[in-house]
Amino acid sequence: MDEIANLKLLKKAEWLRPGKFLASSSWVLMVLVLILAVVPLMTSSRTTLNLWTEIYILGVFAMSYDILLGYTGIVSFGHALFFGTGAYMTGIIIKNTGPTLSNLLLAVVGTIFLAVVISLIIGYLSLRVKDVYYAMITLAFAELFFISAEKWRSVTNGADGFSFQVPAFLQDRYVFYYGILAFLVLVVLLLRRFIDSPVGRVLQAIRENEKRAEFLGYDVLKFKLISTVVAGVVASLAGIAWALQQRFVSTGVMAVDKTIDALLMTTIGGAGTLYGALLGSGLTTLAKHRLGDLAKIHPIFERWYIIFGLLYIMIVLFFPGGIIGTWKRIWNKKIT
Amino acid sequence: MDIFMNLTLSGLSTGMMIFLLASGLSLIFGLMGVLNFAHGSIFMWGAYSGVWIYFRTQSFIMAILVGMIMGMALGWLAERTIIRRVYGRHIDQILITTGLMLVLNEVLKAVFGPNIIAVQIPPLLAGSWELGGIIIVKYRVFTIFVGLVVAAAVHLILTRTRVGMIVRAGVQNQEMVQVLGINIRQVFSLVFMFGAGLAALGGVMMAPAIGSINPNMGLENQMLAFIVVVIGGMGSILGSALASVLVGLAGVYTAWFLPEAALAVNVLFMTVVLLIKPSGLFGMGGGRNS
Repeated sequence: MDEIANLKLLKKAEWLRPGKFLASSSWVLMVLVLILAVVPLMTSSRTTLNLWTEIYILGVFAMSYDILLGYTGIVSFGHALFFGTGAYMTGIIIKNTGPTLSNLLLAVVGTIFLAVVISLIIGYLSLRVKDVYYAMITLAFAELFFISAEKWRSVTNGADGFSFQVPAFLQDRYVFYYGILAFLVLVVLLLRRFIDSPVGRVLQAIRENEKRAEFLGYDVLKFKLISTVVAGVVASLAGIAWALQQRFVSTGVMAVDKTIDALLMTTIGGAGTLYGALLGSGLTTLAKHRLGDLAKIHPIFERWYIIFGLLYIMIVLFFPGGIIGTWKRIWNKKIT
Repeated sequence: MDIFMNLTLSGLSTGMMIFLLASGLSLIFGLMGVLNFAHGSIFMWGAYSGVWIYFRTQSFIMAILVGMIMGMALGWLAERTIIRRVYGRHIDQILITTGLMLVLNEVLKAVFGPNIIAVQIPPLLAGSWELGGIIIVKYRVFTIFVGLVVAAAVHLILTRTRVGMIVRAGVQNQEMVQVLGINIRQVFSLVFMFGAGLAALGGVMMAPAIGSINPNMGLENQMLAFIVVVIGGMGSILGSALASVLVGLAGVYTAWFLPEAALAVNVLFMTVVLLIKPSGLFGMGGGRNS
C-alpha cells in the first residue's frame, strides 16, 4: 500500500523533477513567457514595466556571463566592457545621427563586429595562460575601457554621461516591454542551442577537466575563444538594450561593478544553469530597488550590498549550484 | 632636468607603495596559488584605519602600527574563516575573494562613510629639500626609504631564515614540503597575514602621498599590483620590486606627457610581457596553462 502511494507520489512529482522539467527547456520557457507576457495587462505603470525590462536585460547580461563562468569555467572581470561597448555604441550613434531604425540597426551591427574583435584580441592574449591571469587581464582591460570612456569627454561626456532619444516606435512602453521580452526569449533559445551544440559540449568538458579535453585532441584555446566571443556578443547586445531602456549612457555601464553584478547574479541563481542567471537578476534587481527605497528610513540600507556579498560567499562555500542547482540536487535526491 | 628628477622620484615613490601591495599578492599567489582579489580591500582598510587613528592621535607611527595590525587581523580572519576552505580550487578562490572584497568594501563604506577624506602629510615629513635647484619632496624620500627597508627585510627573511626557506620551498613544491613533516597550512596562515599587513602598510603610506582616501582606491591600486605581479612573475619578491618600480615610473612619465594614457601604457607593458614571457620577467615558470 505504501509502495503504491509512493509510486503515485513519484508519478505526480515526475513532471516537477528538475532533470526532466528543466531539460525540456521549451516547457519552462513557454510557461515563463506566458506569465511574463501578461505582466503589462496587470499594470500600466511605467516604473513597474521598467523594473521588469531591467530584470530581463540584466538577466541576458548575466546569462552571457554564465556561458563563461558556468559552462566554460573561466572567470572574467572585464565583462562590463562588452556591455558598455554596446551601450556606448548605441548612444553615440543615435545621438549623433538621429533616432531612426536604420541607425539603431547600424549600432547593432557595429556593436557585434566590435564585440567579436575585442573578445578575440583579449581572449587571445589572456586565455593562453593560467585561468587566474584571465581574471587579472580582463580586469585591466576593463579598466582601460572605463578610463577611455571617462576621459574621451568630447564623445562620451565623461562620468556625467549623456541622454539621447530612442527611435519613435520604441517609445511606446508596451512595444518596448514585449520587444525586450522577445529579445530575452531569443537569447535564451540561442544560448540553450549553443550549450547543447557540440561546441557547447566541448566547453563543458573543458570546464570539468581541461587536461582531459586537451588530451582528447580538442584545441582548448580555440573553444575558449568561441566561448568568449559568444559571451561577449550577447553581453554587448544586452548593453544595447540597456542603453535603449535607460535612454542615457554614462561610465557606469563600463564599471567593474557591472561585471561583479553579473557574477553575483549568476552565482546566486546558479552558475551553469542558464536560468539561474535570470533568477539572480530578478532577485538582485528587486532587492536593489526595494532596499534602495528603504534607505530613506535608515542609511544602513544604502549598504544593502553587504547582504548580497555575504549570501554570495555562503553560496560559493556551501551551495556551489546556487539556488537552481541546489533545488535540482534536492529534488533528485527526493525522487531517487 | 628638474622635472625629470621630480618625476623619477615620484615614480619611485609610487612604485614602492605598489610594491608593498604587490609583494604580498605575489607571495600569496606563489605559495598558495590563491589570487587574492580582496588584497586591495585590505590595503584600503589599512589606509582608513591608519588615517582614523592619525586624526585622533596625530601620530603617524601609531597610524602605521594600527593600520598594519588591522590589515593583519583582517588577513588572518579571512584566511581562517573563508580562504582556507577553498585551497586548490582556483575558480572558487577568485569567486570567494571577490565576495570578500565586496563585503569588506561595503562594510568600510558603512563604517567610515562613502566620501573622500582629505589627508595631510605629517608635519615631520612635510615640505621639501632643495638640492641644486632640484626640489625633493621629503615624503617621497620617506616612502622610498620604507619601501627599500621592507624589500630588504622580506628578502632577508626569505633567504636567511628557516620560515623563509620553508616558504621558498613551498613556492617550488608544496607537496614535498608537507612530506617533510612541515605543517604548510600554518605557513599559509602566516604568509597570508604577513602579506595583508604589508598591503595595509602600503595603504597607510599611500594616504598622505595622494592627499586623500576614497572607497575606490582599493581596486585602483590592486589593478596596478596585478599588473606588477604579471610583469614581475608570481612568487618572486625581486621581480615584484623591479616591476613595481617600472610600473611606477612608466605611470608618472606617461602621466606627465599624456595623463589619459597612464594606465594604458602599463596595460600595454603587461600585454607585451605576457606575449613574450607568460611567466613574467622574473617568475619561476609555471605561468602557462598547466
